[in-house]
Amino acid sequence: MISALNRKLLRDLSRMKMQALAVAAVLACGIALFVMATGMHGSMDSARNAYYDSARMADLATAVVRAPDAVERDIAALPGVRGVEARIAGVGLLDLPGRSEPVSARFVSLPANREPRVNALVLREGRLPNPARDNEALVNEAFAEANALAPGAHIHALIYGKRRRIEIVGVASSPEFVFAVAPGSLLPEPERFGVVWMGREALGRAFDRDGAFNDVQLRLEPGVNPRVVSTAVDALLARYGGRGAYGRDRMISAQFLADELTSLRTLATVLPPVFLAVAVFLLNVSLSRLVATERANIGLLKSFGYSESAIALHYAKFALVFAVLGAVLGMVLGNWVGGVLADIYRNVYRIPSLDFSAGPRVYLAALIAALLAGMAGAAQSVLRATRLPPAAALAPPAPTSYGRLGAFVENAASRLDGKTRMVARRIARFPRRAATTVIGVAMALALLITSQHYPLSIDTIIAVTFGQAQRMDVMMTFPDPQDDSILRDVARLPGVLAVEPVRSTDVFLEAGSRRERNSLIGVARDARLNRVLDEHLNAVQPRADGLTLSQQLANKLDVRVGDIVRVSATDGHRATAQLPVVAIVKPYLAASAYMQMDALGRMLREPDRVTAVYLLIDQRQREAFSARAKQLPTIMSLSFVDNARNSMTRLLEQGSGFVATIFIVFSSMMAAGVAFSSARVTLAEQERDLATLRVLGFGRGEASYVLLAEMGALLLIALPLGCGVGVVLSRWLMSQFNTDLFNFPYVTNTVLYGRSVLFVAGAVIVATLFVRRGVDGLDLVGVLKSRD
Amino acid sequence: MQGNAPEPVFRLRGVRKQYGEGDAVVLALRGVDLTVRAGELIVLLGPSGSGKSTLLNILGGLDRPSSGDAFFRDLNLATAADGVVTEYRRHHVGFVFQFYNLIASLTAQENVDLVTEVADDPMPSSEALALVGLSPRADHFPAQLSGGEQQRVAIARAIAKRPTVLLCDEPTGALDVATGVRVLEAIVTANERLGTTTLLITHNADIAQLGDRVVRFADGAIRSVEVNLVRRQAAELHW
Repeated sequence: MISALNRKLLRDLSRMKMQALAVAAVLACGIALFVMATGMHGSMDSARNAYYDSARMADLATAVVRAPDAVERDIAALPGVRGVEARIAGVGLLDLPGRSEPVSARFVSLPANREPRVNALVLREGRLPNPARDNEALVNEAFAEANALAPGAHIHALIYGKRRRIEIVGVASSPEFVFAVAPGSLLPEPERFGVVWMGREALGRAFDRDGAFNDVQLRLEPGVNPRVVSTAVDALLARYGGRGAYGRDRMISAQFLADELTSLRTLATVLPPVFLAVAVFLLNVSLSRLVATERANIGLLKSFGYSESAIALHYAKFALVFAVLGAVLGMVLGNWVGGVLADIYRNVYRIPSLDFSAGPRVYLAALIAALLAGMAGAAQSVLRATRLPPAAALAPPAPTSYGRLGAFVENAASRLDGKTRMVARRIARFPRRAATTVIGVAMALALLITSQHYPLSIDTIIAVTFGQAQRMDVMMTFPDPQDDSILRDVARLPGVLAVEPVRSTDVFLEAGSRRERNSLIGVARDARLNRVLDEHLNAVQPRADGLTLSQQLANKLDVRVGDIVRVSATDGHRATAQLPVVAIVKPYLAASAYMQMDALGRMLREPDRVTAVYLLIDQRQREAFSARAKQLPTIMSLSFVDNARNSMTRLLEQGSGFVATIFIVFSSMMAAGVAFSSARVTLAEQERDLATLRVLGFGRGEASYVLLAEMGALLLIALPLGCGVGVVLSRWLMSQFNTDLFNFPYVTNTVLYGRSVLFVAGAVIVATLFVRRGVDGLDLVGVLKSRD
Repeated sequence: MQGNAPEPVFRLRGVRKQYGEGDAVVLALRGVDLTVRAGELIVLLGPSGSGKSTLLNILGGLDRPSSGDAFFRDLNLATAADGVVTEYRRHHVGFVFQFYNLIASLTAQENVDLVTEVADDPMPSSEALALVGLSPRADHFPAQLSGGEQQRVAIARAIAKRPTVLLCDEPTGALDVATGVRVLEAIVTANERLGTTTLLITHNADIAQLGDRVVRFADGAIRSVEVNLVRRQAAELHW
């Protein structure tokens, strides 16, 4: 049996259903975003961890020039080491049938007759290579798909200038290459970079490492400090040319995954609260309106002997229903969008069993957040309801007390007609009510603006990186530092118009107790093809007398211009130097350290060496250039910048782009919800005045003017405010998304702002016109005979 | 008497009004015939739910009969288009309700201005306020006026356009006797000085003595029509 009070609740709710839906929809957007982002974060985090666990992902890795096989046992005996895999690894080129441009590949050895102890493979198709045959190989899944390679296919490999025929016998995934990125590249290009696993013997011969290894992957016992183990490993491998062990934070695939998880977490923690805040606002408006119209009923209930808490509970239940409705809608929506997102992520990240599933804790948190939002929105109105003394509630309400406005406004108002004066005085009399609408609309606009900044920022990164920073056509990298005489060989390749050398090396940077492993890039004097840009996009010439650091790296090392950083090379002579920080820049991509190239060569005690070259080529001779370039004996990878740009655009549009789209859709929905809700409340508040105007003989249009003019005036205040908040919110959000690899710039774009303003203004106008139909249907007699 | 009787303003023939359908049908008016002549002050008397408000709403163009004809001069309010009815309200009808329905954000004078701004031949707002004895309070907002004063502003607003008819639905229902008397005086003044045909709803039999005729309602029909040979002054009333 439903109590009379609850029956009243149900009736009132069905009367307010449109309003309830608008508030619930805004709440649902926030909840959906939260469920999607938190759920996706959790799903990806656990899928990654499960994959890393089951496939024994390495905790530490190091390259070494050449260490005898026996050293593997010494490493395995180190305290804290759970498993070791000593391998042959190296880079080379692949020649694919029907493709003139060479493809880079990372070759990795597989132990004979057993599974790798670290970085196990998941065989997707075919079989493992037969250790007795030296021409059988596995390739990674993304590469196989992108190039339509299946078991049975034959390709050619170029290792140290030697060409050999390889048969693909299977397709595999590895936790090491969830994201397969070519050396020197920043993003995966599955068409142009592959991983090739072959037998240990075959690769040992190809890379001239018979009876030795050049790559070590380690798993550690749980709870062991990787830094302690890496120091021990480095000491062991020093005499064999160890390059310094590094953890997952420097493994590019792991780093990418961690970055994506970070941005999902940012999305989950930063945005839903903003949506919830707006929902709180709307709920507050709806419920205060309800309590105002319920004055007499509240008085009546109190006179019947209902307690204050019973009345408080009754009105709190409205908020409860809104909140639960919003939460349920949001959970269903979030779960669905999360499923779609997981499909997209599965394509980008090669993680087995990556399914969207938000656990009960996520749903519980969503429900609690919705309820808290509901309660926060209702608190004020509920308090007002309980505080109303029964006698006051039963007496007819005094007309709202208005006064004259300031002389200036009154002067202006005296020139207005009566209806406009009504609007002006109402806004001035109830600044908080007006502010609620203004803030709601402004927040919706700000969110819409902010939501579009992420894709805009990405577009800017791509445009600046490939338009202003990297102006070369081709990047060619070498496996080892080469004598700079190679520049002459390269310049003689067909179609080459300009050659610019670069020297980069992995170093440890130390300042105080901070220690970072990073690349130190030696930039040629007057570099034109690959320039270091500051945040104002001015070219910065790295200096010879010190380090130019990216802002991210400077933050990690906690150094400012003038501070001294200790630099130790990880290869060659393992030179060390104390260098001052001479400049800090904010590049959009990749946090690195820079120096003038010749100075770097001197510091490393290896002058006149290069590790890569940037080229301008005549595009008409692209094929001839490719054909000849792949015959160079020392080439490691060849990357055409236009390809890289396309891959990067596609990658960013796929993953984060989808999330951004969802965000834009939700922001738009919210703007519409706020618009409708505000218009509805304004109509409800004005009902009596509008009916009076109609009875006095004003037509529908004339009466509607009062509603439209008020919404219009509030809109005019809200739009500039929303743009202002949008700027602040966008700047802040972009800074939250920054990672080691990306620095998201805030970009002012008038089209974006104009489009958002038009959308929000349009939503408010359409909602107001929709609500305005209520003026036509006003029950004149009913409204005027009621006591308000 | 018939030869020089004033022309009829309203002519109602067989006006019926029903709400709802099927089992829930409510007959608010069961066939009303009534002629109202120019300048008359008619008091509609009857218990709640007897149909008097429904009739007044039909006469004011706020509602339509389910069947029958309700003529204002030559305009059949039962069948006229919405826009025509709005124009009719705008130019010919003044309303006064039990709850004054002033616009709270406008002063007394501005509430009256609202009507004079759109009427064809209004009197100055100040004159309308003077007629109800409120000239000194013209600049006050509704919240600064007593209930009786607010109702008199509503009357001033209703008569400022020099309406053909003034329709008052329990204008004293929410007021005490002394205040009610002043409100009634204002209505009678408008009727006498401006010659505005006035219909006044009340369920207070004492007030009936103000009218030229008293129409008694019960169960949606007219039970009797009495003619007051002598109209009492509002000040003589007490209840």
